[in-house]
Amino acid sequence: MKCPRCRRPIDHEAASCYSCGYSEVEAAASCGTNQVLLQRVHDAAHCLRKHERDELGEVLDFLELKFPQMLFCAYLGSLPSHLSISELGFWLLNHGQVRGAEFTRPNENAILVVMDLTTKQVGISLGYFAEMLITEEDAYRALNAARPNLVNAEYGDALERIFLKLGKVLEKQGRKLRKLTREQLHATLTGRYNSVLDLPPHLAPMLPDPQRLGKSSPIEDRRLSA
Amino acid sequence: MKRLAALFLAAVLSVGVVRAELELPEWESAEESGTYFLGGGLWPKALIPDVAAAEENPAGSEESVESSLAAAGIQFVGPPAPGRPLPGTVVAAATPPASGVPAPGAAKFYGPAGEEGAGDPAMQRVRENPDGTFVVPQEVVEEEAYEPLPPLEGDLADLYFAHAPVEFLIDPQRLLTEQKSNDIMRFLEFHAEESKIRIYVMVIGENQKVPEGVDLQALHQKWFSEDPAVTMLYYREKPELTELVFNESIRNTLPKTVFDRILQNCLREGAVADLAPDQVEKMAIELSIQLYWLSRLMEKENPADSLLVTGSSVHEMMASEDAPELLREYAPGIFIDETSKIVSVIVTLVIVLGGLAMIGCIGWIVMWWRGRESLSGEPLLFPEFALPRRLGGEFCGGGFVGMSFELNEGTS
Repeated sequence: MKCPRCRRPIDHEAASCYSCGYSEVEAAASCGTNQVLLQRVHDAAHCLRKHERDELGEVLDFLELKFPQMLFCAYLGSLPSHLSISELGFWLLNHGQVRGAEFTRPNENAILVVMDLTTKQVGISLGYFAEMLITEEDAYRALNAARPNLVNAEYGDALERIFLKLGKVLEKQGRKLRKLTREQLHATLTGRYNSVLDLPPHLAPMLPDPQRLGKSSPIEDRRLSA
Repeated sequence: MKRLAALFLAAVLSVGVVRAELELPEWESAEESGTYFLGGGLWPKALIPDVAAAEENPAGSEESVESSLAAAGIQFVGPPAPGRPLPGTVVAAATPPASGVPAPGAAKFYGPAGEEGAGDPAMQRVRENPDGTFVVPQEVVEEEAYEPLPPLEGDLADLYFAHAPVEFLIDPQRLLTEQKSNDIMRFLEFHAEESKIRIYVMVIGENQKVPEGVDLQALHQKWFSEDPAVTMLYYREKPELTELVFNESIRNTLPKTVFDRILQNCLREGAVADLAPDQVEKMAIELSIQLYWLSRLMEKENPADSLLVTGSSVHEMMASEDAPELLREYAPGIFIDETSKIVSVIVTLVIVLGGLAMIGCIGWIVMWWRGRESLSGEPLLFPEFALPRRLGGEFCGGGFVGMSFELNEGTS
């Protein structure tokens, strides 16, 4: 995990960035503390044509049917120079409210594609739940697959491709999770088996597992996980 | 009485002993006794010593032999008999002197280790001329001459041409050796069993000629009108004169050049050997091989004659080297020629390339199937669980992956 502002690695339970001290408070101070209403495809830059928007809408409809818990949305805009797309993504997922999203699709299940047409950058912000399902590698592959369309300014097609790639990842991850036991599932989703940033497990005292209480120490668990 | 009988017996026996003499064969006439001499004609008369002179002078018998040879004009040129000295040499004493020095007047020993050429019979025949040159006698090797054969007339001609031959080898004059005749006969019988075109070999002398009134083609037609056959007329040790007579039906099937080529091949094989039996044998074998190819050719050329060649199964025989060329000239269809090879190579290439293309297509389909963006329509639910918060965010902890799509920039 990285800090949205300084892009330095942070711990997965850090209250603020150890390097720059960035946190949600800093984001609210710069972007606002209020909630904002977002379209599912929020084209603030007005770069999508109608048929592109319609096609993208169909793809998002399909994905929402396929993954009833997941929220797919996109923001395209021209950002000011002092605001990066990672900060915007962090702030939008915490302060935004996607129009039409059911209560079953909270923002922590959201996959938000943020595109800055000024700096020609695109990124994927993931909620807590979504980042457990989608690794950085998978997200990067999805962006890379859409790069030709982005270079050719086919933003609608690029967003379609990104969402479909992520949908494939989600499907694969879902099949994989079905085969896991409850313990393995919990360990997988909490990152005990595969740390995205290759950081050591958190040293904070963990909640004791009633089944394993008194049988092994946290150090032994760490060895097992390694 | 007894005394009288004994006296009578003694008198008779003594008279018998006095009168007894050996009965020897006698010449019927005085002339015959003079014509008989020792050796039965193997030796010249002059070599036979005179018995009377030998009785009178037994010690001088050797000199008398030499003198008689000289008188007869015969010069001794051969090697001396063992234990006999060379003519003109004096026999040394029986016991050589103890000092090892030859006695004066003693003859030299002309042996292999003695003087040059004395012991070599070939060198003994070499004569030295007064001018220092040598005359080497040439050995005359008499060539084996055949007896002159009578012309093919009368009964002899009837033996050849009067009736259809019963055996495949027609040699009433026994011009070939018995062993080779049997071998050739067996081979021709074997060929007749394997092939429907039979071979009849007629052997005549090198100076003999077919009688003018005999037409071999007509005879062949008369004899072998029903069964196809080939008559080979062979002149002893003159294979270049050999004639081949085919059935009219066979000859009409194929062009004349085919039969010319067959004859040429047979003549070529015959020219390899020197002796008549070998020539006949080689030509018969070659003709058998050529007939095999001829039958194949006829089968290709004229399907109506397929019945004729169905029985031909001399596949074990080795074909002559130019037989395929002969067939290729007239029946290219029975060969796998170059065009068919090219076609087969092209077909193989097409198959290989097609296989590779198919494998590539399958691989591409698999890759496309795995990388396709379509998703199945079945809804997928994930298990819910509580996650720790980060950076104070309620829904998002800053999880972000970005990339630049500027052409001259890399990813962020």
